[in-house]
Amino acid sequence: MATPPRTQSNPVVAALFFVALAAAWEFGVRLFGVKSYLLPALSDIGVAFWEARAMLLDHSLVTLGEVLSGFALAAVLGVALAALIHVVPVARSTLYPVVIALQSIPKVGLAPLMVVWLGYGFGSKLVMAFLFAFFPIVISTLGGLASVPSNLEEHFRALGASRWTMFARLQVPAAMPNFMDGCKVAMPLAVIGAIVGEFVGSNNGLGNVILLATGSSQTALTFAALLTVTMLSLVLFYVVELLSKFVWWRAV
Amino acid sequence: MGVAIRVENLTKFYGGPTGTKALEDVDIAIEDCEFISIIGPSGCGKSTLLRILAGLHGFDTGSAAMFDEGVDAPRDDVGVVFQTANLLPWLTVDKNLTLALEIRRGKAAAEAADVGAMVEMLNLKGFEDKYPHELSGGMKHRVAIGQALMQNPRVLLMDEPFGALDALTRDRLNIELLRLWQRDRKTVVLITHSISEAVLLSDRVLVLSERPGRLIADLKIDLPRPRDPSITRDMPAFGDHVVELSRIMGVV
Repeated sequence: MATPPRTQSNPVVAALFFVALAAAWEFGVRLFGVKSYLLPALSDIGVAFWEARAMLLDHSLVTLGEVLSGFALAAVLGVALAALIHVVPVARSTLYPVVIALQSIPKVGLAPLMVVWLGYGFGSKLVMAFLFAFFPIVISTLGGLASVPSNLEEHFRALGASRWTMFARLQVPAAMPNFMDGCKVAMPLAVIGAIVGEFVGSNNGLGNVILLATGSSQTALTFAALLTVTMLSLVLFYVVELLSKFVWWRAV
Repeated sequence: MGVAIRVENLTKFYGGPTGTKALEDVDIAIEDCEFISIIGPSGCGKSTLLRILAGLHGFDTGSAAMFDEGVDAPRDDVGVVFQTANLLPWLTVDKNLTLALEIRRGKAAAEAADVGAMVEMLNLKGFEDKYPHELSGGMKHRVAIGQALMQNPRVLLMDEPFGALDALTRDRLNIELLRLWQRDRKTVVLITHSISEAVLLSDRVLVLSERPGRLIADLKIDLPRPRDPSITRDMPAFGDHVVELSRIMGVV
């Protein structure tokens, strides 16, 4: 029988390993008498999660709204900016360096400013999610637009294609796989952005839950909220992954 | 009839008059509906000549005209087939076949076109909905040629269209090209480095020298039409032409 390639993971082994880790956590905490406000047992986190499920769902929806709005804005403006930089030579020597410079600002440090400018509500979180997601989308789309094979560009030129036709029929579809790659990076970053925004100043959202639970030593609830954020992030990532199946031509 | 393509005293430098001379004083007259092959060693400027005729490259001195109009941009009645089968990976065979038509004459023209007939003519039945990566190398080239033919061009320019294929596939495509041309005669300029291919297909074979490319021979191919590779290749005249061209090119 042929041995599977080394790069292929065995799901049974992976599952067993996770179970072992969970068991080590659960019984390690009990065995060594770790204080529950430091590290609660896994089962306590499960209980906290179940008891707070309605509340966690409510706050998830708040965070989800912030993430999706920020991400959508980043996708729209990111693609627009990448297209502008690609099409207008002047933009490459003016806008592009500005984008790079802005990217170099630690965005976490901008969060308090956003609260000052936009208040405790939805707006400052949307902007934080946007700031985190924007850059990878710009860079990946720009790379995609520049990756069009020169033989296809020549073919279009020989057909007398206008710049618009070249852009819409050749460069945009050719850039789609890279754009989707950028989205895969950007989506989890948008979640981080929203959570950071909520940490700095908010009335609701999962970041707010984490902050309050930690402040009142409800560590199990903190973990439950973290688990919720993780699940939210994973689900969103897989949605992007699923959408990127529609642009399968990268591998061609 | 009349002259389809007239090139006079054409000289082309790469990188200005101080740069590399690619073509020197080339004079060519091609009759309407004539099948011409241009052969020569690599780097002799034969592809450059084709790109000048396609309106993709400029030139320095002399003139290039098609149907008595100077060539300075891609023309609507010219189809170009390149060495790589320039298909869009995200379009099916059907859509790739009508792509050139759509770019040149719009969506309505593409939808009105008889793709089925072309598919049949190219022996691609059953592959209409396949994507390029699902096709063999020879099939991709057939689609590329079909795309050029769908425009029903008056002039077909081909730059080593089968250069990257194995000998067997190449033979088969030559047979098909012969069949297509005999059914629907056009002016064809074929760039190739295969002497036997040039003799088999052409009315006339032009030989370019090593760089800078100058016209060193203009040989009329005296073989009856319609030609059939299995018969034509056995004719004494076929062998004579091949030998003569080989001597001109310094191969024997």
